[in-house]
Amino acid sequence: MLMLKLLQAAASGVVTGCIYAMIALSVVIIYKATEIVNFAGGELVMVGAWLGLLLVGYFGLPRPVMLLAVPVVLFVLGAAFDRLALGRIARRRPSRRLEHATLVVATIGLSNLLKGAVRGIPYTQEVRRLPPLIGGAPIFVGDVVLERQDLAIVALAAVVMLALWAFFRYTLPGKALRATSQNARAAALVGIPVAGMRMSVWGLAASLSGLAGVMLAPKLLLTPDMGDVVTLAFAAAIIGGFTSLPGCVVGGAILGIMQNLVGTFIAPQAIAVTPFFVIMLVLLLRPQGLFGDTVGVRRV
Amino acid sequence: MLEVSGLSAAYGAVAALEDVHLRVAGDQVVCLLGANGAGKTTTLNCISGIVPVRRGRVLFEGEDVTNRLPEQIVRRGVVQVPEGREIFPRLSVEDNLRLGGWTQRRHRSWRDDLARVHDLFPRLRERAHQPAGTLSGGEQQMLMVGRALMARPRLLMFDEPSLGLSPLLVRQLFAIIARIHRAGLPILLVEQNARIALAASAYGYILENGEITLHGPADRLAADARVRHAYLGG
Repeated sequence: MLMLKLLQAAASGVVTGCIYAMIALSVVIIYKATEIVNFAGGELVMVGAWLGLLLVGYFGLPRPVMLLAVPVVLFVLGAAFDRLALGRIARRRPSRRLEHATLVVATIGLSNLLKGAVRGIPYTQEVRRLPPLIGGAPIFVGDVVLERQDLAIVALAAVVMLALWAFFRYTLPGKALRATSQNARAAALVGIPVAGMRMSVWGLAASLSGLAGVMLAPKLLLTPDMGDVVTLAFAAAIIGGFTSLPGCVVGGAILGIMQNLVGTFIAPQAIAVTPFFVIMLVLLLRPQGLFGDTVGVRRV
Repeated sequence: MLEVSGLSAAYGAVAALEDVHLRVAGDQVVCLLGANGAGKTTTLNCISGIVPVRRGRVLFEGEDVTNRLPEQIVRRGVVQVPEGREIFPRLSVEDNLRLGGWTQRRHRSWRDDLARVHDLFPRLRERAHQPAGTLSGGEQQMLMVGRALMARPRLLMFDEPSLGLSPLLVRQLFAIIARIHRAGLPILLVEQNARIALAASAYGYILENGEITLHGPADRLAADARVRHAYLGG
């Protein structure tokens, strides 16, 4: 009985962990490319979720179409934000330190803008929920119950994360993005269009967040404030070291599993404090996170 | 080939360059000498499109490339080998080189270009798969030269290539620069080490506090009393 509870909690934890990992990846690729912490990461998740619901629930589009449309629309949204807001601020270049702070504040602006925009749409006035991505009876593995939709979420997340890994590892544009984040000046000198790369990273990150929103939507009620889930993604990223993509995946999984274990064995009320507890534990034992570079203090 | 006229640049309110003129003819090695902070790097960065030009023009092969984006300037064939260790430390040596050919990526010939760079620097072939950050200082300098060659340059600009290298490595590097030049590539060489730069060049410019104060054929500059006093140690 104990073993079953443990396995069941771990299985559910992996599902939410996958979603945290995707949002954490979105935040971390922007941080690595631009040193900006994107405080609008959660709102991009929220917009992705609402967009998915709108396409399926309101316009009646088939789900595969929605799963393609959401990342495309979010890519354009993310790239446009970089081009129209961040690009302009960076071109004025008052001073490097001031610029950096301004850019971070601009992401807080985006967060509020997106929340306000979604609240302004009449369709979002009611609390809604996205119907399951896949229907059908749950699958039993031994005595552990697995929802088909949860399996779909894990599979989709795995495909997306593998694709992302292969993109950065094996393709020339992926390597150019890594080069730009390692040394932007050298990237410019070899003829890599640095501004375009930055824009693509924002697009890519927004796509990831949007897809995470679509995965999260069937499990959660949709509200304009559901972007608060980003706190958990930040936690996952910090556990992983904040600059490591595998760290995001491991951090997300640890967090998801821990939350479920705490919920099952300690108390459901304790779930909310779990992320902070895990962060403190990890930072005490390994200040740089599980996969992070060495510790450094940066003034913002 | 390259013609810079009336170039001025500034960082905020601080003037860095004032009315700089210089030319690199089709088959020459030309050096730009000066003390630390004279504006040599700024001159190269203006040409490369990294630092905005306030006034003046940069012509390359008759075309105005002033204040173009860095990637457009590289695509036209003006490629800089920057000062210091401006590499991609966590990418492999081979990936660093491949990214040097970013503007040529649609051409099928990048393998030939890579083979040519490997022939010039056999060390880079041996170390192809290790992270570039693990190379020694001299090897990183070689990597930056190889990376620049991957862009199929029509004019190569070196910023302080001798900096931080042992005398032996400096000799090797200048032998390679001479070899690249003999293969038909004009070169603009920025150096603090006036002796070795003048020996390698046909023509030279002296930059002081953002202005060109002296220029002429390299052998005449090397014999000039003022140059001998200020840059050649007597």
